[in-house]
Amino acid sequence: MTFAAIICFTIAGLCGLYRLLVGPDLADRIMALDVSLISLMGAITVDSARRNDPTNLIMLAVIAIVGFTATLAGTRFIEGPSTQKETK
Amino acid sequence: MSTVGSLLMLLGGIVALLAGLGILRLPTTYARFHAAGKASPVSFLIAAVGAGFQLGLASSGYLVLSAIAMTLTLPVGVHFLFRAVSATSSSDHLVVDDLASDQT
Repeated sequence: MTFAAIICFTIAGLCGLYRLLVGPDLADRIMALDVSLISLMGAITVDSARRNDPTNLIMLAVIAIVGFTATLAGTRFIEGPSTQKETK
Repeated sequence: MSTVGSLLMLLGGIVALLAGLGILRLPTTYARFHAAGKASPVSFLIAAVGAGFQLGLASSGYLVLSAIAMTLTLPVGVHFLFRAVSATSSSDHLVVDDLASDQT
């Protein structure tokens, strides 16, 4: 039954990948990366539960924080040069 | 494998599928963000609870840590993304645009 859960998370990641390739707007692509990162987190959780060893669970917090930072960097990039003033 | 844990993980997978479907099929950018920003963290939280049942108390600390980290940071990121989209692209299809009145 948990193998079906891994398949569901993989399909969610593939939907994010599809939106990444097709997405009309740059913001769509950033959101698609975010969705696939979170489905990757879910797949890691299910996989470590299936193998019953919590070694690679620490990756989850790393992915959460890195995904958040990437989203913020993307939004600063979207808003264009006005927000990237040289801070003296 | 505790059945409750695997059932919850399957439910998390199904919610992740709904998030993926929302990303694919919803027409406007805002609707897609709404689906992604809300459904995907819920799917991870449900899967984390399921995995917590399976992995026992010692290692579910990692799950709690990552759940808290994600729940705190993801809405902020999606909020910034919404602001960036409303600042750059045309949002005339919106019925109520509160942000537009702020900028004047």
